[in-house]
Amino acid sequence: MATNTLKRTFSRAKDFLQTEKGGIIAIIFTVAYLLVTGLLVYFFIQSLVAFLLFLASGLLVYYLPMPIKAKVIISLVAALVIIPILGIRNIFYLEVMFQICLFSSLALGLNIVVGFTGLLNLGYVAFYAVGAYTWAFFGSQQMYLLHSIPGSQPATNAFFLPADMFYLFAFVGMAVAAIVGILLGLPVLRVRGDYLAIVTLGFGEVIRVLANNLDKPINLTNGPQGITPIQQPTLPQGLQDALRVVLNPLVGHNVTQGEFYNLFFYLITLLVILVVVGVVVRLDNSKIGRAWTAIREDEVAAVAMGIPAVKMKLAAFAVAASFAGIMGVIFAANRTFVSPESFNFLQSINVLTMVILGGMGSIPGVILGAAAVTVLNLQVLQGLSLSLNELRQSGGVIPIINFAWKDLSSQLDPAKYQRLLFGLILIIMMIYRPAGLIPEKRRKRMPAGSEKPKELDNNNNSAVEANQEAHNDAS
Amino acid sequence: MTLLETKGVTKRFGGLVAVHNMDFNEEEGKIYSIIGPNGAGKTTFFNTLTGIYKPEEGAITFDGHSLVGRRPDQISALAIARTFQNIRLFGTMTVVENILVGMNNRLHQNSIGTLLHSKGFREEEESAFKRACELMDFVGLKGIGDELALNLPYGGQRRIEIARALASQPKLLLLDEPTAGMNPHETDDAIRLFRRVRDELGITILLIEHDMRVVMGISERITVMDYGEKIAEGTPAEIRSNPRVIEAYLGRGAAAEQMAEGEA
Amino acid sequence: MRRTFAATFLREIFRPLGQILIFITATGLVLSAVMLLLAVLLRGSAIDQALIGRNSVDLLTYTLANLPQVLLDGITLGFVYATIALGYTMVYGVLEFINFAHSEIFAIGAFVGVEVLIALQGAGVLANSTGFGAYAWLIFAMLCGMAASGLTAVLMERVAYRPLRNAPRLVPLISAIGVSFFLQDLIRLVESLTTGQFYRVIPSFGNFEDRVSLATIPLAGSTINVSIQNKSILVILVAVLMLVGLNYLVNATKLGKAIRSVAQDRRSASLMGINVNLIISATFLIGGALGGAAGLLYALKFTRIDPFMGFFPGIKAFTAAVMGGIGNITGAMLGGIVLGMLETFAGSFLSVYTMGAAGAEYTDILAFGILILVLIFRPTGFLGEQVGQKA
Repeated sequence: MATNTLKRTFSRAKDFLQTEKGGIIAIIFTVAYLLVTGLLVYFFIQSLVAFLLFLASGLLVYYLPMPIKAKVIISLVAALVIIPILGIRNIFYLEVMFQICLFSSLALGLNIVVGFTGLLNLGYVAFYAVGAYTWAFFGSQQMYLLHSIPGSQPATNAFFLPADMFYLFAFVGMAVAAIVGILLGLPVLRVRGDYLAIVTLGFGEVIRVLANNLDKPINLTNGPQGITPIQQPTLPQGLQDALRVVLNPLVGHNVTQGEFYNLFFYLITLLVILVVVGVVVRLDNSKIGRAWTAIREDEVAAVAMGIPAVKMKLAAFAVAASFAGIMGVIFAANRTFVSPESFNFLQSINVLTMVILGGMGSIPGVILGAAAVTVLNLQVLQGLSLSLNELRQSGGVIPIINFAWKDLSSQLDPAKYQRLLFGLILIIMMIYRPAGLIPEKRRKRMPAGSEKPKELDNNNNSAVEANQEAHNDAS
Repeated sequence: MTLLETKGVTKRFGGLVAVHNMDFNEEEGKIYSIIGPNGAGKTTFFNTLTGIYKPEEGAITFDGHSLVGRRPDQISALAIARTFQNIRLFGTMTVVENILVGMNNRLHQNSIGTLLHSKGFREEEESAFKRACELMDFVGLKGIGDELALNLPYGGQRRIEIARALASQPKLLLLDEPTAGMNPHETDDAIRLFRRVRDELGITILLIEHDMRVVMGISERITVMDYGEKIAEGTPAEIRSNPRVIEAYLGRGAAAEQMAEGEA
Repeated sequence: MRRTFAATFLREIFRPLGQILIFITATGLVLSAVMLLLAVLLRGSAIDQALIGRNSVDLLTYTLANLPQVLLDGITLGFVYATIALGYTMVYGVLEFINFAHSEIFAIGAFVGVEVLIALQGAGVLANSTGFGAYAWLIFAMLCGMAASGLTAVLMERVAYRPLRNAPRLVPLISAIGVSFFLQDLIRLVESLTTGQFYRVIPSFGNFEDRVSLATIPLAGSTINVSIQNKSILVILVAVLMLVGLNYLVNATKLGKAIRSVAQDRRSASLMGINVNLIISATFLIGGALGGAAGLLYALKFTRIDPFMGFFPGIKAFTAAVMGGIGNITGAMLGGIVLGMLETFAGSFLSVYTMGAAGAEYTDILAFGILILVLIFRPTGFLGEQVGQKA
């Protein structure tokens, strides 16, 4: 009984929101929510709960029906004004947003291969690594260290390329990764589904081992120690000073150059993710996207309809790889350091979990998945770690079993238990909600008000009648 | 003029000869049928025609092109379309999208146009959508374009398959048991539809069928297969009284009975 | 025609033994021939000179002298892979599904076995045991490991795979990946909570480390001692036992027949009165137990284990299973032996033959390279697949 009334109020609320007055109420509510949570974060700058509430405003913008212009403006203000301010107050938040945008891009790329085309790629991190090492090699001093044993030669002061070549190399990294994607795809794409997963896993490991060992005969990757320092593009001093005038009073301290770099990288990844979303949406609504989905649904039928399966799969690989490639370049510049450790199998599964959790084939789903997993990794697990440490210091005991917290092994650090978390998420999602948190939705194309299906038949028999006749004929 | 011609086509699976020495031709603008008991090799023949299988021997010519050795998507580009015995739709795509996929070969969009939403791209998508709606009307699926294909009842799904096949503007349409599982009403509609496809769209049709009403009703020529070989070919009247055909379907006893009745 | 039990028994025991012998001999001969040919072709080349300069032997002598030991090591490693491969191939044969978490089944067997031995050592039991006693305790630990692994496998199937049996193929595979990751960290968690350690070392006891010297080969002033450790002999023996035992089980017993029928056609098998769920659980139990045994053998051979130990051996064993023909038990044996030999040859000779440019660190990805080649050029494997025909 209660659920029925709840459902009714819910649907009535939904209908109301579709109206013009409802739209305005939605806008006001969303803006108010943003301001309230924003202020909460501002004043309780360390509070994880406040930050999560603030992030939840994204869901509000997505789900509440409002005119598109309103959604865009609200999102832009939140992304370009509120988040930077909050982020500079607590630089960790900018890092979180940076990683959300970065991983969203990776997840959208993987989504093309796994979600749209139905190919399970377990070695996606390889393309990310290729992009990162491209800038790492050219944007550092490695070109001068080709014949030196890792760690022995003091680095010369010269960098091979000027730092601002970073912008060019964003595209170079994209291209290189795409080429690697095609090279991987050519031999491998005729292999069937579950084998393809293992082969792509292997490829990811091959790239990692190569990165780890290509320090001889010529030192391309500097082996396990990685390449550092890697240049970041220059931020004009004048611009920094101008922004400080506005920002210093808002954030309560002098904004350092490091913080400006954090802001810069957040904005860059934001720009890239916007472009990526645009590209993916446009591809999805074209014959290319339909071909990918057709291949996923039934490859035999797709080919019979004239879709060149191998070419389309290669295209999917190439596009996905290019997204990873450009993010690799940005990652390398952001960290100023790359090592083979960052590009292991766990990272591939990290991105896969985002896609699975959010919703295979669903663009908003995948972004939500990326945000959720990133927050879990960076904040929730870390938070648990911190709490556990506090408990350890406290000298208390675990109830029931009376085991002292401080005797708990120092090995036990929740922040490092991503595998447990990813594993659980994957299992639970596959069993209970394989379509993901926000399942894929096909686009509605029919003009509003077209006749509701009378189903079947030129004779205008309804489906029910036709079925009944079938039953009568059969008996 | 002869649109499709096969000579001596043989398809083997290991030791099993599924299709043996098949000579076949079809004239443009006709409706022909291939019939035969289960396991006669009819679908295998279709699969060989459409490139899913490569024949061990024989030649296949369509509209002046040789088909042997071409991939199915290449054959589709030559204007042959088909439906499948077990409906093979793109289940989680909508009805309209299924039909749009059928049009894939006829759309000229390139990646640049897609990414930039150029005028050419938008216009082509518009007209493609219009054509998809027209095809939906043609097969009797008016207005349900946004339904997911897997949600439609069986008869509706069959229609989507046909609309999807028609979308590629084929010259030859291969239909594999299109009326399987249909009740008499639906079968009559199907017969009308096939005639309209031939008459209004000028498409040549080749049918695999078990429903004799359909076969005898609209075929201009029937080919009978059994154990991978052609055992008879001719007009419906000729086939109906052909003893070998009767024997293939009903066994030697029945054929003898028929002969006896015929003579009596 | 009724065959006598004795005839069946003998046939099913000696046929796999014979096959194993043939595989080893053939692979060994082919690989040795290839290496010797290479050495001869490269005579006088820069590679040859470099070796002469460094070790004062030329390539051909070096290769010849090292071949026996490399072959022995390759066989041992090959059997370890073959035993792990059995678990993959059995499950794939019955369900057409890669149990990605089999690598953790393998690890669980190792950990349980090793912890049992450590506990025994702590209780002072192992120090006093010699000869037969040591072997008995080892077998005991192995049985514990096998039980743990087998039960984990059955539980895994029940919880994470059975609900997904009719889902599209990728769904249970993703679930399996999830199980694999979950178990890795679970092992780590349990170890952290109980022992606080990441690595565990198998206690040394008995005469497992002793070497049995087979030959000595003089080489450039020193000698190469061709020997094999007792534990390697043990690994080979146990592995052969398991391979033959499994082959007998699958081909000559009623359970085996039931497994084969479920693999062929699940629905018909259930119509014939076979409890399909039970058979599938049994398959996981057997495959899991074998994987667990392989785990302890691996721990015995390599002495140090960690929670992530299953990853590479698992992938390599899967490659071996595919090489031999997935679903085919004999194929898993063949694939394991071939892969083990290839890997050992590469590990020993690669750095010499490339003048140090590429060395043993690349052997891990050798398996991936082989997998890709096999899947491109002969996807059904050398001995052909044996999976069911889905209607």
